Amino acid sequence: MLAFATDLFIQRTFDGLAKGSIYALLALALVVVFRGSGQLNFAQGEMALFCAFFAQTLTLSGLPVVLAIVAAALSGFVMGAGVERFLIRPIEKKSPIAVVVVAVGLFLGLNNLVAVIWGVDARRMPSPFPNEADDFIRIGGAAVRLERLGIIAVLLLLVALLWLMFNRTRIGLAMRAVANNQPSSQLVGIRVGRVLAIGWGLAGAIGAIGASLLAPQAGLSGAMMFGPFIFAAAAATVGGLDSPVGAVVAGLALGLIDAYIVGYLTWIGGDLVLPVTFGIILAVLVLKPSGLLGSVRVERV
Amino acid sequence: MARSPYVVERGSAQHRVLQLVGFALVGLVVVRAGLTWDNAGLGKLTDVFIIAIAVTGLNLLVGFTGQISIGHSAFFGIGAYTTAILVDTYEWSPGWTFLPAVAVCFVVGVVVGVPALRLKGLYLALVTLALGVAFPNLLNRYTSITGGPLGIKSVRYLPPDWTPFDGRKDTAKWLFWLSLVLLIVVALVTSNLLRSRIGRAMVAVRDNETAAAVMGVNLAVVKTVVFGISAAMAGLAGSLFTLKLTLADPTLFTLVLSIEFLVAMVIGGIASTWGPVIGALVFVYLRDNAKSFGEDQGIDGIGGVAFGALLIVVMFVASGGLVGLARRLKAKVLRVLPRVPSAPAPPGATV
Repeated sequence: MLAFATDLFIQRTFDGLAKGSIYALLALALVVVFRGSGQLNFAQGEMALFCAFFAQTLTLSGLPVVLAIVAAALSGFVMGAGVERFLIRPIEKKSPIAVVVVAVGLFLGLNNLVAVIWGVDARRMPSPFPNEADDFIRIGGAAVRLERLGIIAVLLLLVALLWLMFNRTRIGLAMRAVANNQPSSQLVGIRVGRVLAIGWGLAGAIGAIGASLLAPQAGLSGAMMFGPFIFAAAAATVGGLDSPVGAVVAGLALGLIDAYIVGYLTWIGGDLVLPVTFGIILAVLVLKPSGLLGSVRVERV
Repeated sequence: MARSPYVVERGSAQHRVLQLVGFALVGLVVVRAGLTWDNAGLGKLTDVFIIAIAVTGLNLLVGFTGQISIGHSAFFGIGAYTTAILVDTYEWSPGWTFLPAVAVCFVVGVVVGVPALRLKGLYLALVTLALGVAFPNLLNRYTSITGGPLGIKSVRYLPPDWTPFDGRKDTAKWLFWLSLVLLIVVALVTSNLLRSRIGRAMVAVRDNETAAAVMGVNLAVVKTVVFGISAAMAGLAGSLFTLKLTLADPTLFTLVLSIEFLVAMVIGGIASTWGPVIGALVFVYLRDNAKSFGEDQGIDGIGGVAFGALLIVVMFVASGGLVGLARRLKAKVLRVLPRVPSAPAPPGATV
């Protein structure tokens, strides 16, 4: 830390942003579900994992990686919508806390189903981006891998698409209405059930893309999504659970914090990276109890 | 269905007799199991009691006070490590380590409860999640105290001399009865606490914080103290756990454990006194049977799939928890009427 190396800093920044993009994608999925249902979907990470395994299987049969990921996103959509319709909706009406257990059951079930279908050994997932040893470009003297840039670009693209959908389409309008006030949207003729299912489906698709992009670097295995899910849940919460922008900002920030702590504060050591990151999160939450960009709810007594 | 339920008044002689018969039946079953079962069976029931103690604490916090915690694995672990360290490093007698374990957890619980004064719902859940996530890492980091990834071994609690148990081979029996007694103590403390001033305040805080504050409930005191009590119960369970397992290491106290507590609590039925016990019982047996089913099948992961599916099925059958289901069934055969408050007695009359 004696001489500040700009190129190293740039490299770590992009590493952090790429890592953060995965957190942001998963956090975005959590937020989309939360806005609709008011639930934190514990199984989001494992649903995504399942779809990533599906994508990997497709690439084995010769499908191009990009198409395989699109197929995984579609399967994620179907899975998400199906889970909402058949597992969450019947329970939620009766007891909201029971949804937590259903989600945990789904988490365990899917995580183990992956082992049943695909075995317990880690698998290699091809990257949709060029990721040979020499696939990098130089930015300010730093070698930035194309894969990192690709992941960040996918995040930005998805955020733009989501923004367009929320703000420029009828279904997006309906989703915002349901997020804002369910009974009122039902009264004006919005089919709330369908909107919720689409929200869960969308979240499933976003998660599937995130997991498929993470898999080439992390190695596809049953435990792949545990860490990212915890960070994504943290990002979604710190960002403000009902704010998609907050989720993305917080996700990227967590990726950066992680990269900088590992890179610069080496005296902290590997075991304390997580506690320190969470310490920062706590400080933010104590200052802003509804997250960075979450809406403050006024309670009526 | 055609028969109308049998009606008794709460607190009447009939009601008391029925309650007594109920308790006696449960007591009989447990005592019989304690006297006749082999060590493996007793060990499993001991697990149930230990989890039930921790879940009772969690239920106090989540079910009755409305504060979410996904960090109870850490309190459980702090209790376990307090006992393990005192026994291993300072050569305490294991029986005396319960008090410090409970005290340490109470203090940590109160401290963790402080952010709860500002945070609600899932935001609070994240704070406790942080504790649950960070705890194993901290254990790995401070090796000199905790033994790091290897943990602490040979934390035994042999039956003391005054017990009828015979040394090492009866350890399982001794721990069974000890856990049972401690569970009963914890359950009594809980049910008495709930009937006390602070218990009423807890429920008021859960149902409507602002209204509770207006009625004169000190939110800060209630929340932090309940956090402390809840953590203390989890810590007691952790102490027992480490004595039963005879070791403590970081892999035992991960977030998974917190989630298991939550699941057991919801399966049993939140905000009920019996819920944690029934939830722990069903949870442990489902989990262990699913695991051995998976081992019999010889396919990786099949046991986990079965367990996950079972959890979902239980919630579809009894979305209000098994205690809720039992109450609904009971209501068909027996109805307990609330006691009608009697009018002020005229002077000289016997009430």
